[in-house]
Amino acid sequence: MQALRTTGHQGIPAVAARYRNNFLKEVEAHVEDGEWVKMCMQCGVCAGSCPFGPHWEHPPQEIFMMIRAGKRDEVLKSDAMWMCTSCYNCVVRCPRKLPITQIMHGIASYAQELGLAPKNQPTRDFSIQFWNNCTKTGRVNEMKLTVGLYFKDGLVSGIKQVMNMLPVAIGLIKAGRLNPFELISGHSPKDQKGIAAMLKKARAIEAQRAPATH
Amino acid sequence: MTAPIATSQTILVVGGGISGMTAALEAAECGRDVVLVERNPTLGGRTALLYRYFPKMCHPTCGLEINLRRLKANRRVRVLTMTEVAGITGQRGDYQATLKIRPRYVNERCTACGDCSAAVSAEIPNPYNYGMGQIKAAYLPHAMAYPQRYVLAPSLIGTADADLAKAACKVGAIDLEMQEETVQLSVGAVVWATGWRPYDAAKIQPYGYGRFPNVITSVEFERLADPSGPTGGKLLRPSDGKEAKNIAFIQCAGSRDENHLRHCSRICCMATLKQTQYVREALGEDGQSTVYYIDIRSIDRLEDFYQMVQRDKTVKFVKSKVARIAQADNGDPILHGVDTEGYHRYATPHDLVVLAIGMEPESNSIALPQDVITDSSGFIEGSPDGGMCGAGSASSPLDVNRSAQSATGAALRAIKVIHQTAREEA
Amino acid sequence: MADNKFAAYLCAGCGLGEVLDFETLEKVAKREGKMQVIKRHDFLCSAEGVQTIRDDIANEGVTHVLIGACSRRAKTDAFDFPQTPMARANLREGVLWVVAPGTDHDEVRQEMADDYIRMGCAELKKMAVPAGNPDCASNKRILVVGGGMTGLTAAIEAAETGYEVLLVEKQAQLGGWAAKLHKRVPFREPYAEPQDTGLAELIARVEAHPKIGVHLASTLAETAGAPGRFAVKIATESGAVTQETVGAIIQASGFSTYDLAKLPELGGGLPGVVDQAGLEQLAKAADGGAIQRADGQAVNSVVFVQCAGQRDETGTHLPYCSGHCCATSVKQAMYFKDANPDVDTVVLYTDLRMPGMGEDFYRSAQTKGVIFTKGKVSTVTAAGSGCNVNFRDLILNEEVTLGADLVVLATGQVPNSGVNIDLVVELATEEQASGDQAPAEATPVATPVDLPPSILNLTYRQGPDLPQLKAGLTDSHFICFPYETRRTGIYAAGPVRRPMDMLQATDDATGAALKAIQAVENAALGRAAHPRSGDLSYPIVRLEGCTQCKRCTVECPFGAIDEDERRFPVFNESRCRRCGTCMGACPVRVISFENYSVDTVGSQIKSLDMPDEFSERPRILLLACENDAYPALDMAGLSRTLYSAFVRAIPVRCLGSVNTIWITDALNSGWDGVMLMGCKRGDDYQCHFVKGSELAHYRLSKIDDTLKQLSLETERVASYEVAITDSQRVAALINDYAETIKRIGMSPMKGFN
Repeated sequence: MQALRTTGHQGIPAVAARYRNNFLKEVEAHVEDGEWVKMCMQCGVCAGSCPFGPHWEHPPQEIFMMIRAGKRDEVLKSDAMWMCTSCYNCVVRCPRKLPITQIMHGIASYAQELGLAPKNQPTRDFSIQFWNNCTKTGRVNEMKLTVGLYFKDGLVSGIKQVMNMLPVAIGLIKAGRLNPFELISGHSPKDQKGIAAMLKKARAIEAQRAPATH
Repeated sequence: MTAPIATSQTILVVGGGISGMTAALEAAECGRDVVLVERNPTLGGRTALLYRYFPKMCHPTCGLEINLRRLKANRRVRVLTMTEVAGITGQRGDYQATLKIRPRYVNERCTACGDCSAAVSAEIPNPYNYGMGQIKAAYLPHAMAYPQRYVLAPSLIGTADADLAKAACKVGAIDLEMQEETVQLSVGAVVWATGWRPYDAAKIQPYGYGRFPNVITSVEFERLADPSGPTGGKLLRPSDGKEAKNIAFIQCAGSRDENHLRHCSRICCMATLKQTQYVREALGEDGQSTVYYIDIRSIDRLEDFYQMVQRDKTVKFVKSKVARIAQADNGDPILHGVDTEGYHRYATPHDLVVLAIGMEPESNSIALPQDVITDSSGFIEGSPDGGMCGAGSASSPLDVNRSAQSATGAALRAIKVIHQTAREEA
Repeated sequence: MADNKFAAYLCAGCGLGEVLDFETLEKVAKREGKMQVIKRHDFLCSAEGVQTIRDDIANEGVTHVLIGACSRRAKTDAFDFPQTPMARANLREGVLWVVAPGTDHDEVRQEMADDYIRMGCAELKKMAVPAGNPDCASNKRILVVGGGMTGLTAAIEAAETGYEVLLVEKQAQLGGWAAKLHKRVPFREPYAEPQDTGLAELIARVEAHPKIGVHLASTLAETAGAPGRFAVKIATESGAVTQETVGAIIQASGFSTYDLAKLPELGGGLPGVVDQAGLEQLAKAADGGAIQRADGQAVNSVVFVQCAGQRDETGTHLPYCSGHCCATSVKQAMYFKDANPDVDTVVLYTDLRMPGMGEDFYRSAQTKGVIFTKGKVSTVTAAGSGCNVNFRDLILNEEVTLGADLVVLATGQVPNSGVNIDLVVELATEEQASGDQAPAEATPVATPVDLPPSILNLTYRQGPDLPQLKAGLTDSHFICFPYETRRTGIYAAGPVRRPMDMLQATDDATGAALKAIQAVENAALGRAAHPRSGDLSYPIVRLEGCTQCKRCTVECPFGAIDEDERRFPVFNESRCRRCGTCMGACPVRVISFENYSVDTVGSQIKSLDMPDEFSERPRILLLACENDAYPALDMAGLSRTLYSAFVRAIPVRCLGSVNTIWITDALNSGWDGVMLMGCKRGDDYQCHFVKGSELAHYRLSKIDDTLKQLSLETERVASYEVAITDSQRVAALINDYAETIKRIGMSPMKGFN
């Protein structure tokens, strides 16, 4: 998998073809577990099972219907997939055994790849920061990740956030659960090169898959 | 009990519900000899536990009465109740069936006078009300029971109550020494009419059956609506005995679900549409039914029943598979889910929830002979040589009407085997 | 024949002995009932008790037996004396269990028991063992009308069971609609791919079977007779007529497709629009290759519109769902996907109806990439060389226009059921019911031009084809008895009976084959068919008393009675179901059965020891349908539900068999009231004899005049619809009625007879 980018291809959008196979096929080709989308029977149990449900524009079942209806832009630009917290309620209840959580993340990832994902979407921002943080050394640096998130909206709001959380941080430091020096150096896994090589290989495999439809 | 005389010209019908009775009677009325075995103390099966049938809203016992009269008038059918098939060997035209007959503790001298029942005090959960309510441990299964003979629950044996029952019987019909019997039978063809059972609703975890008293199954709702049921026909909810006015029906409870039953049980949509009319019958305009569904399958001419229910202002349809049920402090089940027609989220309290429970073949709990082929849900197709076949809801999820149709066809298949065997032997 | 010897056997078991005075009962049986042998037993249904009766029949010359014990529905195994007429006085369920206990009620209870003995004796005197049907005819050949999947299956099943079969097909070749299919939906696991229809093999089996004779390009010019002796004229297109005799008939006349031209709003008539049958034709032509339109245009996108002209509530199109069309569209979408996965296939449905294992077939189509959308199509319009499908996507909640090269409309099955005889024959009219006027002729209310050609061309008085249930379907009205058409020995099977798919049609054909076999076996033995299966009695008519009023011929629910040229009724016993509706209808009471007649019931009514006007002990006659009301009374007894001891119940075969003479006789004999309990009538009738309850209701509507003539209150006759489950209600109805009689007072008619 490629590193998630904040900017992507600004290609020509696919021709809006309603209820054609185009977008469904695109999803099958490029989205992890995307071949399951066609198996949905629109019962809605996923939509009702999601603890975050009330907060999104489109629940999974509707996203799947939109994919089948060829609503490419609306799907890929939606923030719906980014709201999934991977609780797997939908997956265990789906009567068709669709891996809904995986599909939602897959679509999000694909939208991100195409640069269509909504800007300033908090969970998306978090995902990007987390991924970049994690793949840098092969190990998540909690201090850097936290600070990075606090300051993503600028210096003033960052300081406010830090001040708010300071008592918690001090408590964690006292308990030996947080090392402030990680912010400067941070420690690495034993075989950083190995991880880098692994990620490189993964990207190569990813690149072999059919190129995205732009 | 003496073993019925049977030969390779005899048809064995396993199961005494509407399908088994139909197969047995149709074959017998063509002049064939039939042995009809039933596991329970009475014939009638699950249809006898329904309050009404769709779409006519008529009573199952009405057809049962006719079938029983046909049976009483026909000497070619031998009925063995409390009997199970322990094994079948052989092939088309030449089977050896081993039957196990459980003790009834009441012999054929019984006149159904009820003295034994009056004498005992022990009670058991009423199996003919799906365990809702109690019945005396010396009991007549129900008013239409055939044979019209009492039965002693095995739990009664060895207790003082059993002796009381025996002492109360003036005709010497109670035999506490009765033992299980094994009987061997030669038959030429076998019809498996072992029927269905409701899917275990407790396995559908998010719906809380078994945890929430006011979540019941559709078969239990039949008993609630029936005047001869545990509530005398009043729609009283289990938690507090309050009259249930706002009732939710959840379709595909277990059916069309790869976590449970992968098939569609076919009958549940019509059963629910029918049950909404029980609510109307009981409460008139004060009742409210809400049907949560994926697809309403009121197939062929049953469509007009759906149209009639759609016109009923007390019935609402929501296209949604309910995600989960929670319970409010007052015992109301609260249904959570999304109406998928246009994406409307709901969290709706109801007085009572009825799960339109799926049909599982009863034969899933029976050891079938090796050469009986079943599909992946367990429905019986038959043996490759045609000597055994399935009938009614043992062969496919079918309603009563189509079960009777299927059983009639099964009777012909069995007769064909008998005919061809006889010809080969000649 | 030896003299009759009447014997009464009274059972003192089940507590009867403790509560009833058996000496009085015996006295009644002897003095009033004129029984020659009277025996009392403490446990009559025991082997010893029954043996007593058997011995008396064998050794003492007893010819008629009265059992004074439990209900006629109980202990039928024990009290089973073939060739001996038997009456049952219901002392247990009818008296002991329903009359309040205690000495306060001893007198009324005893009177009730005494009366049932009187009635039993009176009935017994009038009974004879049915001598058997004189109309026995034993042709066992089975005629199958229609050579499609249903007819072929019925033919082969019957033939392989050993019966000769005559198969008549209108077309020049066998196969029907199945022959026009590219493939069919799978019948067994795995439910994944369209299958070969298997038709060629089936036709080969039929053609090779020595017991099957096939008439192609032929129709039935005439069908006369009855089970066991149907005389049919088979006409070929060229006009040649063959006469054949058959024992039973299976009508597998199939269906036609709904006319596309009736669906202009859905594009019916456009080059880019076909129905499912049309698509099969295209698929057959393509034979696994790319499916093209009839005009040769390639198809890259296809839309299936479900429920086209079906499930219609406006009365314009078909009101029902044809059941098979969802699976058929799924199969047809697979034709496209299997040939070329890039073809866009969309199925627009409102409820996808693929029951049972059809769910697997649905999944398989999804796997192949068929798109399913819950949508309601408003119009299909021409767009370029293709079409636009305008629909509301019900999930996404928006109006959509979808272009397609080809649109397939899932139209429904229209049954080929021939003539709707209700449009041709006008049933019982008021003029006829009044009895003395000239009977109305059958009045055609539709011109012959409007009517489709008849399938069977029955010479029956009630019309040339099977009666239809609704929407042209010849289905049975009964849930438990799906094959019960109203013409004995003629069984509809397949889509003519009810819309269905091919698997169901083959199953249905198998069941119909059994019923046809049963019909010929029954006819050969002179036995009745369902629901009085095995009954050997049959209607006997004294033609010398007949006034040719035609009520029996018009009212027979089963069309069993024809008319000769002098308008006398011609009974076809093998068509008769023994309901007695004719007996109830006959104003001059010339129709009877050997074991059930105007006399068997009438004599009971007159047998009572009627208390006088001042006794305050009214007598209420209850004529109860033996199918539902009488069992309900029994079950009231079983649950010890008490009711008035003034009632006397007589079971009747059907309320339709109730002759109004019984009611007038009862009133003239001083009965204070008459209750009639029958099954539900109307559209959802529960009457086992279809129209019996309805006819009884109609006849009773005339009874008020009689009451007026007798200067009696209208309350003295009351009728009720009762279900078999109404065991509590029947008791309440009786008690309410007893109150009514108390209020209006005793009948002034006592002591005049």
